[in-house]
Amino acid sequence: MNSVAAVRDIAGVTLRQLLGRRRTVLLVLLSVVPILLAAAFRAAGETDIERFTRIVFDGLYVAILLPLVAVLFGTGAFGAEIEDGTIVYLLAKPIPRAAVVIAKALSAAGVAIALTVASAGLSGVIELLPAGSDGQAATFGYITAMAVGSVCYATLFLALSLFTRRALVIGIGYMLVWEGGLSSLLPGIANLSIRQYSLGVADAFIQLHQDPARLTPSTAMTLAVILVVVAMVVASWRLMRFELPGSSD
Amino acid sequence: MTVQNVESMPGPAPAPAIELVNAARWYGNVVAVNDVSFALGPGVTGLLGPNGAGKTTLLHMLAGFLAPSAGTVHVLGRSPHRDPSVYRQIGLVPEREAVYPFLTGFEYVRFNARLQGMADADAASRRAISLVGLDDAAHRAIGTYSKGMRQRAKVAGALVHDPQVLLLDEPFNGMDPRQRLAMMDLLGQMAEAGRTILFSSHILEEVERIGTEILVMVSGRLAASGDFRAIRALMTDRPHTIKIRSSDDRRLATALMADPAVFAVELKDGSLAVQTAHLSTFRRLIAGASRAAGVRLVEVVSADESLESVFDYLVRR
Repeated sequence: MNSVAAVRDIAGVTLRQLLGRRRTVLLVLLSVVPILLAAAFRAAGETDIERFTRIVFDGLYVAILLPLVAVLFGTGAFGAEIEDGTIVYLLAKPIPRAAVVIAKALSAAGVAIALTVASAGLSGVIELLPAGSDGQAATFGYITAMAVGSVCYATLFLALSLFTRRALVIGIGYMLVWEGGLSSLLPGIANLSIRQYSLGVADAFIQLHQDPARLTPSTAMTLAVILVVVAMVVASWRLMRFELPGSSD
Repeated sequence: MTVQNVESMPGPAPAPAIELVNAARWYGNVVAVNDVSFALGPGVTGLLGPNGAGKTTLLHMLAGFLAPSAGTVHVLGRSPHRDPSVYRQIGLVPEREAVYPFLTGFEYVRFNARLQGMADADAASRRAISLVGLDDAAHRAIGTYSKGMRQRAKVAGALVHDPQVLLLDEPFNGMDPRQRLAMMDLLGQMAEAGRTILFSSHILEEVERIGTEILVMVSGRLAASGDFRAIRALMTDRPHTIKIRSSDDRRLATALMADPAVFAVELKDGSLAVQTAHLSTFRRLIAGASRAAGVRLVEVVSADESLESVFDYLVRR
């Protein structure tokens, strides 16, 4: 089969799978929270871009919403099918395993991008765009950060879900302990932090915060690309060797 | 259809569609399949065994989802493990029930057809849907299907690309008797058309109708293989225990003991346990005997018709 057609078909089914889940509704509701906060800032006449981006974008979007959404969709893309056994219908097909992984990653990252970018974009429009060119730059910067972060988190934890059923727990642990705790204490960890890749990419548009742990935009983008490529290769390798969990038989 | 011990296969025979040689699979210290060898050609073969016998593990090895821990597994002359291209010729109906609930039956079958690279996936899907008799429900979401309909949708998805080898794990689960008959007819027709079909079941009667050849697995081992009738004949001298509850167990026991088809009668736990060698004869006998004795039957059940007991018997022989 044409691999492109296979990717399209599998991605279509995966999208319906991901969007039909109850947790997606919860994530949509969660993504409304920072928008409401942006509206509150606007209503209060707050004009300090630096303060707003630190609280809402760095504190809510990059630290919480982005990893939560992308990890949930990334682990769910394969996880649900492994759990209920429908993965068999994909594995028993004459298609390259890389095509399956690409389709799943595109779906998971695509949904995560749609949700985080839409939410961050709206928040930016409400509070930052009226602030002029700096506000515009910050909005575009964080929208790009959402997109890059979504792809990184989704592919990393999609790959991990092929190794362990606890990928979601590990993902949340990574988000809270590694990125939330250790990376602020040990600056060297920034090289292994998707949050820092996202913030580094945002800095390509405007640098609002002086933080020694922050990666340069080029370093952040390079590390993000390496992470995604490695995750995809590892996921394809793993899927080729994937064995069905023991059955009741 | 051929089921042969690999060691006794004649020299220059056509390559079997399915061949296992001393295949084993274990998980840590647990042996799921142990030293199994057989070869299958076109036809329908029933893979029988009680729950836990290793049937699904064996089918998963054949489907390439598990590597054998020892020995070799070949389907159409190739190892199916880590070779996705082999799925052009394999159709698989897994045991687990789940099918994408948000897809309609037609969408699900077409999804399979498209991933198989079929040029006209729509036409192939319509054909497969018709074969399993799901036309009326084809455009309903699978989530609304009954268990039997889901099974038929799975079968349609597995045969949509007309595979050479069809592996079905408990395919008749959830089907009503009419659907079972239709499915058995379909598999029979495919076998006549030269396909190799291996289906697992833990219900002996399912095999009786469809597969003349069977493989019997018990505790991970191949306990018996060959013609179904021959193996069934081995079982006929095995005593069957029938549990009966009636309006007067004692009177019924007296009436039954007079018949030579009854080996032993025992009153216990408020019911009557009867041992007989011939179930069909006994079924006729019990009706007449109860009527003649003026006893009303409340319940007549086979106490040991489970495959476990049948297979235990086979293994002990």
